[in-house]
Amino acid sequence: MYLTNGIVIGVINAVSAIGVSLIVGIMRVINFAHGELYIFAGYFSYHLSLTFGIPPYLAAPLSIFFIFLTGLGMERTLIRPTYGDEMYSLIITFVLSIVLQNVALLVFGPYPNKPPNLVDGASNIFGLFHYGNQRLLSFVISIGLLLFIFYLIRRTWFGKSVRAVSQDRGMASLMGVDHFRVNMLSFGLGAALAGAAGVLIAPIFPVTPTGSSSVSLTAFVVVVLGGMGSLKGCVIGGLILGVIENLGAAYISTMYRHIFGFIILILVLVFRPWGLYGQRTQ
Amino acid sequence: MDIKKLWIPFLFIILAIFPPFLLSQYWLHVMIISLFYVMMASSWNLIAGFTGQISFAHAAFSGVGAYVSGMMAVYLGLPPWLGVLIGAGVAALLGLGLGYLCIRMGGIYLSLTTLGFSEILRIIITNEDKWTRGTMGLQIPGFFTEYSKASYYYVFLVIAILLLVVIYWIIHSEMGLTFRAVLNDELAASSSGINTIRVRALAFTISSAMAGLAGGLYGHYLMLITPDIPSLGQMFLVLAMAVIGGMGSFAGPIIGSFVLEILSEYIRIYGEYHLLLFGLVALAMARFAPEGVIGLLGKKWRIEWSH
Amino acid sequence: MVALIEGKELTKSFGGLIAVKEVDFHLQRGEIVGLIGPNGAGKTTLFNLISGVFHPDSGRLFFKEAEITQLKSFEICRMGIARTFQIVRPFLKMTCLENALVGIIGRNERDGKKGMKKDEARDLLKFVGLGGHEEMLANSLTLIEKKRLEMARALATRPKILLLDEVLAGLNPSEILQALELIESIRTELKMTIFWIEHVMGAIMKASDRIIVLDQGEKIKEGKPEEIVSDRRVIEAYLGESDA
Repeated sequence: MYLTNGIVIGVINAVSAIGVSLIVGIMRVINFAHGELYIFAGYFSYHLSLTFGIPPYLAAPLSIFFIFLTGLGMERTLIRPTYGDEMYSLIITFVLSIVLQNVALLVFGPYPNKPPNLVDGASNIFGLFHYGNQRLLSFVISIGLLLFIFYLIRRTWFGKSVRAVSQDRGMASLMGVDHFRVNMLSFGLGAALAGAAGVLIAPIFPVTPTGSSSVSLTAFVVVVLGGMGSLKGCVIGGLILGVIENLGAAYISTMYRHIFGFIILILVLVFRPWGLYGQRTQ
Repeated sequence: MDIKKLWIPFLFIILAIFPPFLLSQYWLHVMIISLFYVMMASSWNLIAGFTGQISFAHAAFSGVGAYVSGMMAVYLGLPPWLGVLIGAGVAALLGLGLGYLCIRMGGIYLSLTTLGFSEILRIIITNEDKWTRGTMGLQIPGFFTEYSKASYYYVFLVIAILLLVVIYWIIHSEMGLTFRAVLNDELAASSSGINTIRVRALAFTISSAMAGLAGGLYGHYLMLITPDIPSLGQMFLVLAMAVIGGMGSFAGPIIGSFVLEILSEYIRIYGEYHLLLFGLVALAMARFAPEGVIGLLGKKWRIEWSH
Repeated sequence: MVALIEGKELTKSFGGLIAVKEVDFHLQRGEIVGLIGPNGAGKTTLFNLISGVFHPDSGRLFFKEAEITQLKSFEICRMGIARTFQIVRPFLKMTCLENALVGIIGRNERDGKKGMKKDEARDLLKFVGLGGHEEMLANSLTLIEKKRLEMARALATRPKILLLDEVLAGLNPSEILQALELIESIRTELKMTIFWIEHVMGAIMKASDRIIVLDQGEKIKEGKPEEIVSDRRVIEAYLGESDA
């Protein structure tokens, strides 16, 4: 049961993490505001469905789309001018995360909100135990998203541009890739993935504005563990973290749940900074 | 150092003697808190603004100072002033360790590691509530048997001035030059004979010692320590003060601390909006005026004051 | 005569790509040796190996007969090896004087009053032709001025050997002449040993005692400029590049 939880959470983590990884790989920018985008998406889907009465299966993609636009806007106004200056992009996204967190508190209030399930009830897994259908749905959709992203990056022209820019920006630019546009779209995509993860989790675990830092940090741990810039790494890393955190919480201590993540983070950064599948750069 | 320029700091120091006679207890409290942030923002500036290592563990180190000193006072009966020194020492050691841990890391990785370190510390403090009382907070003794805000004010003032003198000296010394060389271009600095490893570790050690010291003082002033001290929210405030005031300058963090702390008191009348407001201003500053208020006050001023 | 600096069978690869393959080289005191080769031949990588930016996968480096293979770059600098960079990188947000001072401080000498160090920095700036620019920030300098500054910073470390990486790149003809004059005065007045990478063939052939040619990470020829210019392999290496 815990293992299953771990796997489900892990896959969702992976979706979330890819959002971060994409941005880091292309732009060398760590999007600290990642968690906030995730939470905002959760709130959007909650309000869209409950306050405005839009059916849940529509509210979710709509929320993701809003977040995508937000991501584009963020990149254009705040991130773009700081290219090449790692220090300032770090500071800017960190401050942005605090700003968004406070906006969420003000606008949405501090109480946890849970958008309605897309599906209800539980299914029987392999005849072993019952498992919530919503979780299963989230799991399936996450896998779908992951496959979609893999397809996007591997096969489409956009994906190739993304890979080109992340490897050698100058070269890609010479080859006619509009790297500013690629950056902006990547950031938007990264944001959208954060939003997607948020929308997928929200029906399971309610969203609160203060939960955003935990989301961001989890995503960062996954990215580091899996290796920055590696999609496969995000998936494997997400699964590993999901499982470890759930098992650890179950068998060792629930309160120290997140510490496992941080310890993994620091161990990886010290001993093997390129993670499991990342590239060794000098 | 120009003797001519000394009159301005002297003026401030003379003026700084008066507040306990002129201000209400409330505003004296605000001054004390401002001085705490002056120590925090200035020491963070040393590592972030001068060596380019954006550490998110600074508030955590102040927490180390507060909790080491506080718990030693409560459980071992150690006099607070001694506890504060020990707290600063522990923070220095941890800072040295963290600095070395991060030595092979560049910007992003280093910041993430410090972030992880900070959160680990906060989680441990929150959960070991048998000793720390977790989120409820631990009551610890103050410095004086008879509580007197004025006395606390002078203690904070003297220590803050001391730290600022040290920071000023560092900035204008050869050490400061090596710091800025590492900030500008670590590889070129290393190829010019600068032991960049030592520079970075030194910056970490000094700044975390100062944060630990400030934290210890803070704890014994509030007489109640909570995991809010080593939190990212506090880290944000310190960062905002340095960024808005002006990273990489001497006076920037000082101005940032006073302005933001006093402002937050006014804003609190309307509600808990100060974090949001500071965040927005900090964003604007980082985006449009990276040298902060100090930078805006004009290039000529900046060179006179901060170099 | 024992070589001032010597490298034996240096090899370095990056993720499967071999940048430098079993390269031997040596420089005698007082020589000017040129390092040439088509783009991607491994020249800058070799410099990076010598100055300690990377460590070789295999092979050894000696300076004044002491092994320096595993030393860190600041230690190598203090031993007497200084360098400039292909893409010029002075400390942009620091003044020219401060740039030179960093080099002096890097020497890590016990004593020395700050006043004396500042004087020495001023003299260095004058020597490279930046006499009046002491308080100017490096990011407000022109390209050739930045190159002069980098030179001053490198000389401030009192090196025995100077590694110059494409100093002439991006300069117009009159600036090239100025740069060559500076290099010549460094060589004669400071009795410096120089190892330099250059693409401006005329200059490097004229000024060097000896030339080493790299192609795709390997040393393909070494000898006097006259020999190099007419060597078939060298010509092919360069022609091969211009085909691509």
